[in-house]
Amino acid sequence: MMSLKPRNVDFQETWANLKETVAGVVALRAVERAVWNTRFSDVYALCVAHPEPLADRLYDETKNFLEEHVGGLLQRVKGSSVLESSDYNDGLLTRYVTAWHEFSQGVAYLNSLYSYLNLQHVKRQKVSDAEIIYGSAATVSCPEHDTRQLEVGELGLLTWERVLVRPLSGALSSRLVAALSAARDSAPDPAAADALRSAVHSAVHVQAFRVRAPLSLYQQLVLEPFLAAATTYHSRRAARLLAEGDVSHFMKHVLDGLEREVSLAQRFLHSSSLESVRACYERACVAAHLPALHADVERLLREASAGGGAARRDDLRRMYALLRPLGGPALRPLVDAAHQQAVRDGLALLDAEHPRDEAHAHFVQAMLSLHSKYSALYGDVFGGAQAFVGALDKACSAVVNRRRAGEACARAPELVARYCDALLRRRAADADADDKLAAAIVVFKYVDDKDVFQKHYARALARRLIHQLSASMEQEEAMINRLKAACGYEFTNKLHRMFTDVAVSADLNAKFQQYLRDNNLSTNTGFFIQVLQAGAWPLGGAMAPLAPPAQLERPARLFEAFYRASFSGRRLAWLHHLCTGELRTRYTARVYHVSASTPQCALLLLFEEADELSAREARDALQLAGEAWARHVRPLLDAGLLTGDADGTLRLNLAFSCKRTRLRLTCAAAPPGQGGGSGSGSASGGSESTHCDDDRKMYLQAALVRIMKQRKVLRHTELIQEVVSQARGSFAPSVAMIKKCIEALIDKQYLERAPGTLDTYSYLA
Amino acid sequence: MSGEDCESFDRGDADGQKPDKMFTLKKWNAVAMWSWDVECDTCAICRVQVMDACLRCQGESKKDSYGKQDCVVVWGECNHSFHFCCMSLWVKQNNRCPLCQQEWSIQRMGK
Ligand SMILES: [Zn+2]
Ligand SMILES: [Zn+2]
Ligand SMILES: [Zn+2]
Repeated sequence: MMSLKPRNVDFQETWANLKETVAGVVALRAVERAVWNTRFSDVYALCVAHPEPLADRLYDETKNFLEEHVGGLLQRVKGSSVLESSDYNDGLLTRYVTAWHEFSQGVAYLNSLYSYLNLQHVKRQKVSDAEIIYGSAATVSCPEHDTRQLEVGELGLLTWERVLVRPLSGALSSRLVAALSAARDSAPDPAAADALRSAVHSAVHVQAFRVRAPLSLYQQLVLEPFLAAATTYHSRRAARLLAEGDVSHFMKHVLDGLEREVSLAQRFLHSSSLESVRACYERACVAAHLPALHADVERLLREASAGGGAARRDDLRRMYALLRPLGGPALRPLVDAAHQQAVRDGLALLDAEHPRDEAHAHFVQAMLSLHSKYSALYGDVFGGAQAFVGALDKACSAVVNRRRAGEACARAPELVARYCDALLRRRAADADADDKLAAAIVVFKYVDDKDVFQKHYARALARRLIHQLSASMEQEEAMINRLKAACGYEFTNKLHRMFTDVAVSADLNAKFQQYLRDNNLSTNTGFFIQVLQAGAWPLGGAMAPLAPPAQLERPARLFEAFYRASFSGRRLAWLHHLCTGELRTRYTARVYHVSASTPQCALLLLFEEADELSAREARDALQLAGEAWARHVRPLLDAGLLTGDADGTLRLNLAFSCKRTRLRLTCAAAPPGQGGGSGSGSASGGSESTHCDDDRKMYLQAALVRIMKQRKVLRHTELIQEVVSQARGSFAPSVAMIKKCIEALIDKQYLERAPGTLDTYSYLA
Repeated sequence: MSGEDCESFDRGDADGQKPDKMFTLKKWNAVAMWSWDVECDTCAICRVQVMDACLRCQGESKKDSYGKQDCVVVWGECNHSFHFCCMSLWVKQNNRCPLCQQEWSIQRMGK
């Protein structure tokens, strides 16, 4: 039985017995349990021997033994092989693997036989891994040059490496590389594959205990020579593929090859090698042939977008798969070509034949089909990669904001606004209007001059709301909310205010009717009013002076009284050109319902008194200036209600007849910005853009105040950047304009230049 | 207000020359515009139209979805008018009307 008491031990005798068992263990010969136990105690006894512990001697003897043993294995492995050969079937690899299996397992058993030595003697000397990694044990270098002791298992592996692998490294390496290359072309039989894998992984296993560079033997023996050979092989193959076919052929085979190479690596090599194997392949097959690949990018995109079928899509998918891992510079030409392809196609779509009065629908539909076509194509072949989403966005933006030679500004803002207007009108009665409006936002988002869009949209919205032309108020509100979601609160502020006025007006009418009932009053005629807030509605211009007929005078006065009593500090003005009266004819065989502007009604009502009027008389009675006069009279003449001459004599057409019984007399739209007022006659494209500039300045000043209020002190360049980024949702402001606005705010004492600096502003509360 | 009473509608003058009227006015859809009853439509303090919110309120970008700005107008005894917000800040520095230098006292508020 094993005694735990230290005692005198005869080293020679004990070691001689131990050595015999050790030799059996490393050769995997059967060792009886009893013998094993005795030897286990022997190791213990030597380590704790009295008076002198014999652990060091045991260690040295074991080391000598292992060297001798592995030396013997070396001879066995070598056999009669010619070391310089790389014939992997000459038996050397098989013998190596057999010896490795035996020795690696045997040495593991040996390690447990020496447990006590490992535990008590070696561990105490062993520098902890952490110390090595974090460098506190600065003197520790490579374990093989280290004087410190290793566990016996580790010692065995180190001996294997030094005594057996070193002398055979050339022979092993060349055979392994040759065997791996052969496995690339045809899979080896399972036994050979197992042997190859074992041989490769033995190089990892041998150094696995090392803290530093545990893969260095594997890299030197297997990986590096393999990669060198692979580079040569792949380069030659790539050149051959390119010579024998087109780019499609090349890409297909290169990708197939990549798949094979990756599976070869997964099958035989260490998992850490996958990336370098892949990179090596890509360098040889893709990076080396970029010009050839790039040369075909444009053609492939063109053919794929022209419905070139599944084949071109496959080609693009492969192109992306090949270029993506190489990163930016390799991918750039594909991204750029994708951008250019969409731009080319987009401009062609816009320029396609279309009915002139459908320009807005054509524009939006062309852009939507461009966007959806390329979203689908690029999503499909490039997997929705960000670079291509960006390229498509850039392309759409370029196409949407395209300016033809001679055009002062892009037509997009107006066309998109007109498209929305057409869908939001009642007569559109389009079942898909909601979906179409939601889709229009896609196009809208690409519009640069969103503030110009907003002006067109606001004008059309005003028309719809005032003349009650909207298909539905829910739809109107949903659209305003979509615009708000895209551009923010400020963008839709005025639209919301207009919308609110309409809701408030409904309430106001109810209250007015109640007021009439309460006071026993009557307007004597049907009456409905909309009260708009000045500033929110793009109506502008002076009010037309008009002497309304007495029939209209009464409800107007009643309402004014009611309004004065309900609010304070407010002034009310009548927008006669926007008011409509509904008249019923009584002099005709059939009754006609005529809806007309207030001036038109007033003019018709003049014929209660006379059958014939001179134009001058009528104009004076209505106080309509020349241009406004013509605008209102023309539709009455055109409809046939009046006969005669707008500048001569007017007569009521007593013989009027018409197929329809309801007539809506439009009056020609007033010049923009005047809303049909008396006409100050200065409306032109020039004043339109000045007006827009004023709004932009207003917007910038509000943004500057907002930023400075929050930041208090800011340098000039930072302030400019902030403002530009905030304005981006509406328009792209020029730096000159921003500077002007900063100056204006300094004048208004919102900001000052921070004392003692030239380029810093501070906020004045 | 469907105008069913159109037959009873009468202009109320007693001319009687035309027993039959040519037209019946059934309904009037009126449109009016309101604005603050001010002498000058720009606030002299922030130089923004009084119908719009003052520069500070615009800067705050209130998130009220209906775009209602409770930035009303205030009139002094001198009858000069400003944004209420602007004037409230102004009087903290100087209790005189910025336009006429009279002592500031509120005549009425807009509603
Ligand atoms: Zn103000
Ligand atoms: Zn305010
Ligand atoms: Zn004053």
